Amino acid sequence: MFNLEQKILEWRRQMLAVGVRNQNVLDELESHLREDVERQMQSGVSAEQAFYTAAQSIGQPAALQDEFAKAGATKGTRLQKWKEALLVFMGFPLPFPNALTAEARETLELGGKEALGFHHDFIGTEHVLLGLLELKAGVVRGVLQRMGVDHKTVRTEIAKIVGPWPMHQTMRTPPYTPRVKRALVLAGSEAKALRQTHVGPEHIFLGLLREGGGVAAVVLKSLGVNMQTARAEIFKELGRNRPGA
Amino acid sequence: MIEKELVAASTEPLILSLLTRGENYGYELIQEVKRLSGDKIQWTDGMLYPVLHRMEDNGWIKSRWVEVENGRKRKYYSIKKDGHQALKEKREQWSLLSSVFNGLWKGQNV
Repeated sequence: MFNLEQKILEWRRQMLAVGVRNQNVLDELESHLREDVERQMQSGVSAEQAFYTAAQSIGQPAALQDEFAKAGATKGTRLQKWKEALLVFMGFPLPFPNALTAEARETLELGGKEALGFHHDFIGTEHVLLGLLELKAGVVRGVLQRMGVDHKTVRTEIAKIVGPWPMHQTMRTPPYTPRVKRALVLAGSEAKALRQTHVGPEHIFLGLLREGGGVAAVVLKSLGVNMQTARAEIFKELGRNRPGA
Repeated sequence: MIEKELVAASTEPLILSLLTRGENYGYELIQEVKRLSGDKIQWTDGMLYPVLHRMEDNGWIKSRWVEVENGRKRKYYSIKKDGHQALKEKREQWSLLSSVFNGLWKGQNV
């Protein structure tokens, strides 16, 4: 049985544990959280769903990192800690998200925007793939482009398979699909195998390839991309061979 | 959707303008902006509070806790004299931009 008060208490403890020690700030965030939960429940959402949606939208400041940067270093750091606490609390596996590089975080944020662009209620492998293709930094975009795959072709393929959904109220921060979560875990082990402390976009791509399913895999296949070749190309780009291969 | 750079640049003037209508709290400010923009401006919940706190540090706005129904608390913000002054300056800049665009785009269809 879902106990809202218990969950809010746990949420507060998490925030406290990562250094949001200002009671005033905590109170204000809790007040916001309760407000959000209450309104959602009034429109028929279950307490559990409402709580997770509300907690997630407080913790994910996707659109406005600049604002936080301007708000001063201490507040920026505090925010980073909230975000991390939230992700851990929502059950994301470590080393994700602590060990994500800025580029990897950007990739996932871009993926989230792609999902919203399609009016999809989830962030799937296809959206993450688009995020990777949009990201200017790193090796993934170049490798895929040499294989004849770019943002536009992928977007067209996705539209063929899934298509945009009709305009409707989408969640501001859609959840990851189980496949994406698995791919991110795999990305973590790819980074570890390469003795990297941080998970970068290339590891996310390797994770997607290793997960091997979902719309991203279908799209890549239909564009003639061989998973093993793509993997090998990435390693070539990274200037090292796959350990043990 | 409005691009994030524009959202960031317009947050403070929007908050100040909303507060000239009377004191308000974070959650409602977000809803208000959503409504007024036809859902095109969506402030991220977590982003608003650091901005409010910074504006309070600047002396533009002040806050107080208010007890509402069933023992719940809300932090209400209201605009101060310096806030009105800041808004006046921001408003001049935004009005100028808007009139430049209007002049350039007069009679053109998008």
